[in-house]
Amino acid sequence: MKMKLTKPLLVLSLGFAMSCGNPQSGETPADTTAQDSLAQAVTESPTAPTADKNPDGIGGLYVGAFDAVEYNEKKKPSYNNKITVSIDSVLAGTLYGHSIVAGNMRPFTGAAKQEGKVYTVTVKEPGDDQYDGSFEFKIYSDLDSITGTWTANKKSLAVTKRQYALSKKEFKYDPNLELPDFLPRNELYSEKNMPEEEYGNYEAMTDDVLKVNASKVLLKKSDVENMHKGDLEVIRNSIYARHGYSFKNRRMRYVFDSSVDWYIPLYTDVRDKLTEVERKNADLLKRYEAHAAKYYDAYGR
Amino acid sequence: MLLEAKPAKLIGYLLLAAYLFFCYLMVEITLQYIPINTDVAFLRIKQDYVGFMHYRLAFFIHALSAIFVLPAGFTQFSDQIRSNYPALHKYAGWFYVVITLLLAAPTGFVIGLYANGGLSSQIAFCLLAVVWFYFTAKAVFSIKKRNFTAHRRWMIRSFALALSAITLRAWKYVLVALFHPKPMDVYILVAWLGWVLNLIVAEFIIQKKRTV
Repeated sequence: MKMKLTKPLLVLSLGFAMSCGNPQSGETPADTTAQDSLAQAVTESPTAPTADKNPDGIGGLYVGAFDAVEYNEKKKPSYNNKITVSIDSVLAGTLYGHSIVAGNMRPFTGAAKQEGKVYTVTVKEPGDDQYDGSFEFKIYSDLDSITGTWTANKKSLAVTKRQYALSKKEFKYDPNLELPDFLPRNELYSEKNMPEEEYGNYEAMTDDVLKVNASKVLLKKSDVENMHKGDLEVIRNSIYARHGYSFKNRRMRYVFDSSVDWYIPLYTDVRDKLTEVERKNADLLKRYEAHAAKYYDAYGR
Repeated sequence: MLLEAKPAKLIGYLLLAAYLFFCYLMVEITLQYIPINTDVAFLRIKQDYVGFMHYRLAFFIHALSAIFVLPAGFTQFSDQIRSNYPALHKYAGWFYVVITLLLAAPTGFVIGLYANGGLSSQIAFCLLAVVWFYFTAKAVFSIKKRNFTAHRRWMIRSFALALSAITLRAWKYVLVALFHPKPMDVYILVAWLGWVLNLIVAEFIIQKKRTV
């Protein structure tokens, strides 16, 4: 995971070196918050280069569904992940950015052509990851949105082409964010759950999933001991979701990517961002999940 | 007569096989805690209490002693063993009684005080321990007075409760497989179901013997 961070860092330091000649042009105070969270997302460094960093205010995070349009059904594709596209800087017609989707953070660079309020962008991922490809999109600076497609390099992947319409969002950690009311009775994905299978193996969330906010209150044994494993899992993972963790795990991705509006995938590791309460709650929840997984339907207690 | 005797014998063997199978499962459950480990299985969700010396002591004495009650108790109801090997019946009986009265039942009471699922299951498990102790003690006193009929009845009751170790886990397994209840809901339910039904069956057996 650390490895993946080094490339955007390189891009930014390159940007910094090149922009040294004309500092402090083009940045407005309104941009600072977006820039700060962005800079942390990419490099963890408190200061970001200023010039050309955010022309027309297009820099920032764009979030939305990353929908499969060309895919191989036999390879169990993941149809609509949530993606965050981060526009990090534009320098002399070259756009630098990165994307985070399904626990995979990848940098991209390429040409950006401006015509009025619209930037037409063609960028490539480095190509050393099997899921790399290229993006073609338009940034509408007046609408704060991006629309476009992504094409995989490798044609044997489950999904070879995706499309997206993303809107600009700001990320801010907020422990008060709650899971949506409609989650109970929604299905939980599992490798075992084949679509044609009978009702018997169907696993769903229950009302319990909304009972506690594990980012806010220190949980007690009595809060969690009567919960099903699936609910415990979603409650624990909502802690990570609030911190912008991008889920690799399909089961959690299906919950957060498609159902949780405020969720912005941004990091591939959030362990050092958790509060003390969250750390303790995650441990407690994990303990009960592990117990449920091993003993719930076994002969024993 | 001969035709009637055969299926009865078959059922007997099936029951024996089932009993051995469940004893084997119980041994497996017990072995999880050897060498002494407080971060496995059931104890993983008892972390609030494993810090207490008395809880740990009670838990391990209970788990490691009660397992012997199952084989010791079972042989006692065989007519052949009792008439052909009275010494075996006597020694196995003492073994059962000493383990139950000195180790398994008192420690069961202590663990019951900390039972998962709140007051209802705490009462269920503590009451089970008290009643088990009482029935077993009654069985000892009655044989001391050479009252064989009373001894037999109290032992049937005592062993019915010893079997709750098997039946409450079996009920849990069946209820989970059928209804997917929440973990503590099923726990509270089997805390009662696991031994009260056994006791009812025991009374039926006693009544049947009385009328024969």
